[in-house]
Amino acid sequence: MKKLMNAPDAFVDEMLDGLVAAHPALAREARVIRLAAPARKGKVGIVSGGGSGHLPLFTGYVGRGLLDACAIGDVFAGPSVDACEQAIRAADGGRGVLRLYGNYGGDRMNFDLAGEMVEIDDIETTTVLGTDDIASAAPAESGKRRGVAGIIYAYKIAGAKADAGADLAEVTATAQAAVDACRTIGVALSPCQIPGAAAPTFAIGADEIEMGMGIHGEPGIWRDKLRSADDVADEMVKRLLADPVKHASDRVSVLVNSLGATPLEELFIVYRRVARQLTKNGLTIVRPLVGHYVTSMEMAGLSISLIHLDAAREALLAAPAECPFWRV
Amino acid sequence: MALDADDLRLAADRARDAAAAAHDELNAADGRLGDGDTGVMLKRLFAAIAEAAPADERDVSKLFQAFAKACAASTGSSLGTLVTVAMMTLAKATRGRETVPVAELAGLLAAVRDQMMARGGAQLGDKSVVDALDAVARSLDGVTDGAAARAAARAAAIAALDEFRGRENRLGRARMFGARTKGLDDPGMLAFARLLDAVIV
Repeated sequence: MKKLMNAPDAFVDEMLDGLVAAHPALAREARVIRLAAPARKGKVGIVSGGGSGHLPLFTGYVGRGLLDACAIGDVFAGPSVDACEQAIRAADGGRGVLRLYGNYGGDRMNFDLAGEMVEIDDIETTTVLGTDDIASAAPAESGKRRGVAGIIYAYKIAGAKADAGADLAEVTATAQAAVDACRTIGVALSPCQIPGAAAPTFAIGADEIEMGMGIHGEPGIWRDKLRSADDVADEMVKRLLADPVKHASDRVSVLVNSLGATPLEELFIVYRRVARQLTKNGLTIVRPLVGHYVTSMEMAGLSISLIHLDAAREALLAAPAECPFWRV
Repeated sequence: MALDADDLRLAADRARDAAAAAHDELNAADGRLGDGDTGVMLKRLFAAIAEAAPADERDVSKLFQAFAKACAASTGSSLGTLVTVAMMTLAKATRGRETVPVAELAGLLAAVRDQMMARGGAQLGDKSVVDALDAVARSLDGVTDGAAARAAARAAAIAALDEFRGRENRLGRARMFGARTKGLDDPGMLAFARLLDAVIV
């Protein structure tokens, strides 16, 4: 696969340099991106993190009303323990820090170890894991599910709660409820490749689609000949609505997200059908999002995330926020 | 028979060279389960570990501490962080010591295995590096002689690969590949066997 880069080993660092050069509200310290302004005293901090290769996730969501800092790893590899610790310290405004990130083994270990290191300095931390990918485990094992695009709803909702002055327990509970109310499913049409790797992350026929594939090429539910956008959208919506969800509501927000190479045109073709199906099921759509929110570099495909909204979550979703890739 | 700081420095250099030599093989093994970057990651990690070894230090624990610090700074991959956990565990267990008798290796590796399980959430039988470590720790039980320990450890790591090859991975990203992991070596177990083989020459 062709990539515009200088060297595989420099890929992440040069990307981060460019990100902060283009967005002066962000600052970089090694493998941490944080708000250039110091942590706001008296505000609960929110940190996230994960592997590179998913922009705008994770670092692109550092901003007012969203994340305070973010630890970032190599492409598709977790952030180091040191980076996690640095991010927590950068986000600390004296009222504790929520660690809000996807449910991946390496990320969990690193953020856990980092949490123990900052305990020495009396920085209180809590954890909420993104577990929205319904294809990654059955409903009975929903705690094993991996975190994908739906986590940005948790960023926004928990970020607004922290911005409003809530304490750590309230921000944590709000983030957990947002995760519990959110479901995502993805489809993949073509793979991506890690810089420096010899081959793409998976192989798929030129005329094939895989339902339920994860953002790192984790196997999904089925693979078959490519179908029409409407057929694909119908099945994705059906699967999302069939999955049991805590905090179900008739008001939802929906995110139709490109995995990288799939253009906005195709996203809108799918959104048109998704909106029709949700409405048919008696759901009212609030603040829909269509675009590149959580990607896997040049992977083609898309994901659909659905979050059920109560009045509180809806208000938090509407609260002002600003980061390089999302402004409310 | 006991190990000292010079043995550890030598082991770190050998591990660095072994990780570089196994780069392609480990990338390929991992590539069958997705990313294909285990070789890249371990090559970088063990280069950082070898680099971090303090030249004149006699305290074994201080060496393990330096290794742990280098790991914590340079990796975030789950397998890499398990190496960090191993180094931290060994540093704590050997505090103030200049030598570690071969007779203690079984206990030390068992402690590393238990810490890895507590941190990473693996169970025995999940087909992860923990199973390889468990096999080697058990093989060293009651062994006091260096040559006997080398032979036992090497045989146990290979036997573990053979035993688990036909099973399904039940942890992490590999879990998602289900029955397709039957017949494949777990990349973490394979890496452990390759590194062990080099370190105990």
